[in-house]
Amino acid sequence: MAAVKETIEQVKAIDVDKYKYGFETDIESEKAPRGLNEDTVRFISDKKGEPAWMLEWRLDAYRRWRALKEPTWAKLHYPKIDFENLYYYSAPKGTSGPKSLDEVDPEILKTYAKLGIPLKEQEILAGVRKTGEPSPSDDSPLADGYASMAGRVAVDAVFDSVSVVTTFKKELAKAGVIFCSISEALREHPELVKKYLGSVVPQSDNYYAALNSAVFSDGSFVYIPPGVRCPMELSTYFRINEKDTGQFERTLIIADKGSYVSYLEGCTAPMRDENQLHAAVVELVALEDAEIKYSTVQNWYPGDKDGKGGIYNFVTKRGDCRGDNSKISWTQVETGSAITWKYPSCILRGDNSRGEFYSIAISNGYQQVDSGTKMIHLGRNTTSRIISKGIAAGKSQNTYRGLVSAHRKATGARNFTNCDSLLIGDKCGAHTVPYLEARNSSAQFEHEATTSKISDNMLFYCTQRGLSQEEAIALVVNGFVRDVLQHLPMEFMAETQKLIGISLEGSVG
Amino acid sequence: MNVTTLKTKAENQLREQFDDAATTLPGSGWVKTLRANAFAAFAADGLPHRRVEEWKYTDLRERLRDVPAPVAASSKAVTAADLDRALGSLAALDAERIVLVDGVYRADLSKITAETTVIELMSLAAMLAKAPGWLEAKFANDSGVVVALNRAFMTDGVMLKVRKDQAAAKPVLLVHARAGAEASAIAVRNVISVEAGAKLTLIEAHIALDGAATGNLTNAVTDVAIADGASCVHIKSFVDRAGSTHLSTWTTRIGKDASYRGFQLTASPALARNDINITFAGTGGKLDLSGVFLARGSEHIDTTLVVDHAVPECESRELFKGVLDGRAHGVFQGKIIVRPDAQKTDGKQMSQALMLSPDAQFSSKPELEIYADDVVCGHGATCTEIDGDLMFYCRSRGIPPDVARAMLTESFVGEAVDKIEDEAVRAAISTLAIDWLRAG
Repeated sequence: MAAVKETIEQVKAIDVDKYKYGFETDIESEKAPRGLNEDTVRFISDKKGEPAWMLEWRLDAYRRWRALKEPTWAKLHYPKIDFENLYYYSAPKGTSGPKSLDEVDPEILKTYAKLGIPLKEQEILAGVRKTGEPSPSDDSPLADGYASMAGRVAVDAVFDSVSVVTTFKKELAKAGVIFCSISEALREHPELVKKYLGSVVPQSDNYYAALNSAVFSDGSFVYIPPGVRCPMELSTYFRINEKDTGQFERTLIIADKGSYVSYLEGCTAPMRDENQLHAAVVELVALEDAEIKYSTVQNWYPGDKDGKGGIYNFVTKRGDCRGDNSKISWTQVETGSAITWKYPSCILRGDNSRGEFYSIAISNGYQQVDSGTKMIHLGRNTTSRIISKGIAAGKSQNTYRGLVSAHRKATGARNFTNCDSLLIGDKCGAHTVPYLEARNSSAQFEHEATTSKISDNMLFYCTQRGLSQEEAIALVVNGFVRDVLQHLPMEFMAETQKLIGISLEGSVG
Repeated sequence: MNVTTLKTKAENQLREQFDDAATTLPGSGWVKTLRANAFAAFAADGLPHRRVEEWKYTDLRERLRDVPAPVAASSKAVTAADLDRALGSLAALDAERIVLVDGVYRADLSKITAETTVIELMSLAAMLAKAPGWLEAKFANDSGVVVALNRAFMTDGVMLKVRKDQAAAKPVLLVHARAGAEASAIAVRNVISVEAGAKLTLIEAHIALDGAATGNLTNAVTDVAIADGASCVHIKSFVDRAGSTHLSTWTTRIGKDASYRGFQLTASPALARNDINITFAGTGGKLDLSGVFLARGSEHIDTTLVVDHAVPECESRELFKGVLDGRAHGVFQGKIIVRPDAQKTDGKQMSQALMLSPDAQFSSKPELEIYADDVVCGHGATCTEIDGDLMFYCRSRGIPPDVARAMLTESFVGEAVDKIEDEAVRAAISTLAIDWLRAG
């Protein structure tokens, strides 16, 4: 019940302005000229000091992007994006790349402090460290067990187009883990980047992935060496600040044989009347026996109550279970963005590999969500599980779109899909568009979906036992999303519960 | 008219056939314009292909390589005994009988015992020839390329009406028989009207007579209007072993407090596409739709369903089951739409496929599109091979594997067949399905 109470308090505490991360940081920045052409691509590549092959790779992507058409199949409606009127690169002035914390502009540090993201390594996410517990520092020796590590999170902070700081690098290096910005990885570990970049999401995969491949400015890079269990959670925090700027980050995570990593991603943006574009690409590669757990809490600015402003979130996320017995698990909480177009997928290539997708997508106001997953079964005895919970309120539209397919040779493929939608208010819409494609008889696919509102019976039951209408709704909503919440790392779970309360504010009762 | 989109051989054949047949197809006045407009609508898009979302799994441009010529006037002598032989278990039903042979209404083979105060029957060809103004409205709500082709080429069909507050005492068996020894294309259109408070059981049987050609193309459209408080049971059986292509469309409008129970059995076409479009036009409507699709070899059966809850307080249930053997491909696409004010909607859908051979394929796309909040909607879809545990259970009790497989398959199909309430009809349909399963 504690969580329920918290949700209610959170809801009550909120004023007219529901989006609390909507502030803007006043900081000078360096930008590429508006518009997109080959020179923009060259400019970005040059700024990053990239090797020649990388520039060629980007230019190739740019040319492919020019040949592609903007997709229109999603159940989304928005005015045409003027790609020529955007800034494709924006970096806080004076930062040529991640550096030590002391050198980072204090304004940026303040921003992250305001967002509650700990960049000082002695800090731990609020609510996890007990008061009085000694602060571990970067120089402290690695503890014997992993238990004492729990609650420590290494953060890569990305501000507009560049990574400003990455924490706990030294300690991670001791375990052999590489965690840095992708620009740095291009300089320090070009062979790894060259080998894996674009191997999961090729340049011409889709319109937005091609755009991203051409102009991505930064993002995170993770490499976990064979047999290593990453000693702490890794996390990236994305912040859009600059006006009229597209944010294009690229994340590449490689878990080598027998390794494990848990990765968290969070995002916010200022409140503006104009729409802003965010087109990211995330590639995960899990080799034999490796496991990657990727969690996202997406809280970009969703626009105001009349649907003005907000982020257009067009993201391509895909994981490749390349080795046998590998596992990739996506967990996402989507509460922000005016438009979400996002389908974190798993290619189950290795035998006995496993893909998971747990999603909570909440839309309110005029938000539009078209999200889901793809589970492509290629190897033998591969399994996948999809749990999707959509909550639509206000005048929003919330769509689950998913594909489960088993190749001819993917014998013993097994999938279970459950997508439930909850409707709050009579002006919103909830849609389910699943595709099931079994190309061999041993595939065993099960899909179920339901859509309903919070039933009067449930509310009656709760209120009859003394709960207020508001408490009852919070209880039901929390119960509805429980299956997914359980799969979030602890730090995110508490935050998510609050976020759900905030997102639904004004829609209940 | 945009002519540049017609590229494939089949599309060009259709154009030539339409040009040739324009003078011989029944109809005058507005009917000619209706046909020309319909063909233009087809020509604008051509045959649907996999980039058209609704045809993603059934690429007609790819699969329909050759279109046989439109059927010529049937000269073949067909007797009631020929029909009975081809109808199999359906022949014994105590039913009114309406017969179309090669797409032409045959009064000599049809027999309606009910009074004309209960059932009114007209041949569509006769009506098209007269072209009364009121008939034009019957085509006003047509949509889709297949229906457009039907409208362009339709030769005949029946217009059947059950008058207000009357109940057809016996089921009406509408026989679509193929007899011609030459492969041909048949386009028929049936217009069924069940007036307020009336009751009708309609069984459509698509059969091939002995000696009928292979490689036929049938495009059959049946419109059903169920007025307020009326009820209609609508059953279709398609059992063909002659490698034919079957394009079927049902468009049904369910009035206030009306009820519609539909069932489709589709067995062994080379290619079948069953489009079913249901619209609730009045509150309190009830729909129960089910079907069985059976395919083996390289057969392909597609069932595409749209249930449109346009008004509040309606209930819909769908259950479709498929058995796929050989390299067969089964497709099920089912969409439930709940319009913004259609509160208190209750919709449930289930599609299941049983795959008997390693190379069988099943593609499913159940879809919910919901714009109202006070609803209870759900769908489920499953596919797999025969459950090993169930096989083990049967075999541990001494049942040989073949028999166990047959038992399990028959009971799987039986669940959908059991939705047919009329005992005699259910038994007849069940026999057709079981015969097919055992013939494998």
